[in-house]
Amino acid sequence: MGGVAEALALGFGSGPVCIASCGPVLLPWLGAEPRGLRTTGWLLTLFLGGRLGGYLAFAVVAWAAGLAIPVDLHTRTLVFGLANFGLAALLGFSACVPRRRCAKAPGEGQTLYQVGPTERFRPPAAVTLGFLTGLNLCPPFVTAGVRAAATRSLPGALAFFVFFFVGTAAWFLPSLAVSPLRRFSAVPVVARMTMAALAIYYAYLGVVCAASWRLVPSRAGNLVISITRMVTHA
Amino acid sequence: MPDPARSIALAPPRGIGRSLLLTVPMALFTLLLFTPVLRQPGWPVKLAALATWAFMIALFLLMMRTRKTYRWRRIFFITLGFLFPVGFIWDLVALRSSMSIPMERMLSGDTPFCFMVIPMTLIPAALTKTIIFPGSILPTPSNPHSIAMMVALWLLATVVLGKAWCSYGCFFGGLDEGFASIAKKARIRKINPKWRLAPWAILVAIVLLSAATYEPIYCMWLCPFKAVTEFPEVRSAQTAFQFGIFIALFLTLVVVLPFLTKRRTQCAFFCPFGAFQSIFSRTSVFDIRIDREKCGAGCVLCQNNCPTLAIDQNSIQAGKTLTSCTRCGACVDVCRKDAAVWHIKGTLLGVTPERARLLYLYAAWVFASMFGGSIIANSLQKLIGLVV
Amino acid sequence: MKRLTAILGYGAAVLTIVVAVAGPLFWFGIFSRAAAKTPLRIDPMYTGGEPARIIAGDGYQIAVYKPVLKRGPLSQTASFVQIVWKPASALPPAISDPVDLDGDGRPDCVVSFQASRDPHAKLRVSVRPLTALVQPMNEVGKDSFSSLIARVNDTILVRVPLR
Repeated sequence: MGGVAEALALGFGSGPVCIASCGPVLLPWLGAEPRGLRTTGWLLTLFLGGRLGGYLAFAVVAWAAGLAIPVDLHTRTLVFGLANFGLAALLGFSACVPRRRCAKAPGEGQTLYQVGPTERFRPPAAVTLGFLTGLNLCPPFVTAGVRAAATRSLPGALAFFVFFFVGTAAWFLPSLAVSPLRRFSAVPVVARMTMAALAIYYAYLGVVCAASWRLVPSRAGNLVISITRMVTHA
Repeated sequence: MPDPARSIALAPPRGIGRSLLLTVPMALFTLLLFTPVLRQPGWPVKLAALATWAFMIALFLLMMRTRKTYRWRRIFFITLGFLFPVGFIWDLVALRSSMSIPMERMLSGDTPFCFMVIPMTLIPAALTKTIIFPGSILPTPSNPHSIAMMVALWLLATVVLGKAWCSYGCFFGGLDEGFASIAKKARIRKINPKWRLAPWAILVAIVLLSAATYEPIYCMWLCPFKAVTEFPEVRSAQTAFQFGIFIALFLTLVVVLPFLTKRRTQCAFFCPFGAFQSIFSRTSVFDIRIDREKCGAGCVLCQNNCPTLAIDQNSIQAGKTLTSCTRCGACVDVCRKDAAVWHIKGTLLGVTPERARLLYLYAAWVFASMFGGSIIANSLQKLIGLVV
Repeated sequence: MKRLTAILGYGAAVLTIVVAVAGPLFWFGIFSRAAAKTPLRIDPMYTGGEPARIIAGDGYQIAVYKPVLKRGPLSQTASFVQIVWKPASALPPAISDPVDLDGDGRPDCVVSFQASRDPHAKLRVSVRPLTALVQPMNEVGKDSFSSLIARVNDTILVRVPLR
């Protein structure tokens, strides 16, 4: 029981960091969805479920390896890089795919814009987005990982993470406030543009991780630096 | 067509006596503002201060005489936009022989604070009580542009001007407007109105990312005006890439596109601070309204002449401008039917638009003289010292 | 009612002019004093955090700061500890000091750099980890806010990234 309370307290205390980390992905995604509160809530649940999946994947590794921080820095960098590329691809695709009139438009002259090629695209996309954001190791997660690795059983580690997750999830409920904003027709448009901009940033993060992993040659980088220094100090 | 006897659009210039009478309070107050500068030793300082005072008062007198706003305000605004980098870069080169900000200056809290950072600092400040900027909270001898001073200035501007900051305060907008004024005709006329929403997307993106990274994302990656102010020193591939982005954005959004479209493209389609100020657009007591009865069939001159695309068919039907309206006065000056008018909230539409315009200009021009005037005087002083 | 709203509107307009006129004379000082009383401070990524302990050297002091942790997974700045040697003018030409970063009495790393008297000389620092807490640094200049050596006023400032 004490472990449950500890996990919940740790999760709730870490919530602001989690929502700040996941916000760039979640909030524009929810803002672009032309549906009511119930659908928004369902998509949020799917996102959080995917995020839990990402956490639990690392929890299993943490317990199996008996490590406080799962996997070494080198491999973590690779995982982050791939996750960031995945986020960039999914956000960019969602933002840029041609919109089409929704079949269930409530009234004549009122246009609802749908993100993604079909309605069936959205649930797996929400889960995937959640999973990819969950793969990032935010500091509260590392703290929870230290605690979880100290348990003597895999079910114990998983249970700790689940309750930690429930604690953080409380901070995601205010994101449902995006739903009533969609009555302004500009909001879905702004949300899609935001996703496009964020896709570029996540792609950059992926490149940085790849460079850290020594996949990008540094000679080209040094040449660029030299030229730019000559220009700025001319 | 409006009654020639009562129309503002068709009214003859105001008499010189009345124009001078309306200008005197402004002249006296701005002289009071410039007095501390006039007392400084050295005649370049005095000459620059006097020249700036005379410049601001001359423009105000012309606003009173001609009953037009946009043309004279634009002269001030473009002057501010082009002279600000002169003084700023001059001070940088004098201090450290380079426009780049060395790491040491950031570590010692000597980076001047820019108002563009304000939206990005709010969430981190609320969560952790820290300001994500390498500056100083209070002014220091080596950094008078402290966070407190610039936030105080922004608050004052927001109360007095609201979104009109983008027409009377923002020196970056002056550059944009300057390049938009060069060509006689626009080479690109059709602009998809959805791009007006891009500044909001940029604002949301940088606010969310700044909260996630605890870094001022716009300053690090997206500010076109780093090209004419200061930028982090190039010391790695990343900073070199960032510098390239600043140059590319400046050339595209501030020079080329305004030239081709004759619109303030950086302000209208990119600037996140403009979107942030739009939130306060409705808090100002002054606005511009469109009288639909007088507008009639609609010549859309206002829509075609708005530098920031803040008027469209929907807004004309609603009788007002969009929240992106910077109160520059272009639509009012170009309207031949007295349909687009200055207005004070709570008053009857179109009853005394000239009175609304006068009250608005008194507030706006006082701020412009205090802020923009001081920048112009500082830069002029440098130029005078260079020549003599 | 229309008369009342008109009076309020004109009143607000006049008040705006009053604010524009009085603001430059009074507002900045008032706001600055109020800002000084708030708990707001500059982000420790720029300031280096708060000092934790002072280590006495041979004619100089070494100030070790509290660790500045990475804020979130998207942050580009790793966790680091700032170490400051002062005064820079009193430092010997070559520095190679073992430094205890976590206050457990055992040195966590050895920091080495050439402390040139020339203020414009480029500084390079090498850090050899003695514990798993610290990442190594090899002839690093000003790589990032979490990994650098810089001369700030009369001090030499080093930031050592943590694992």
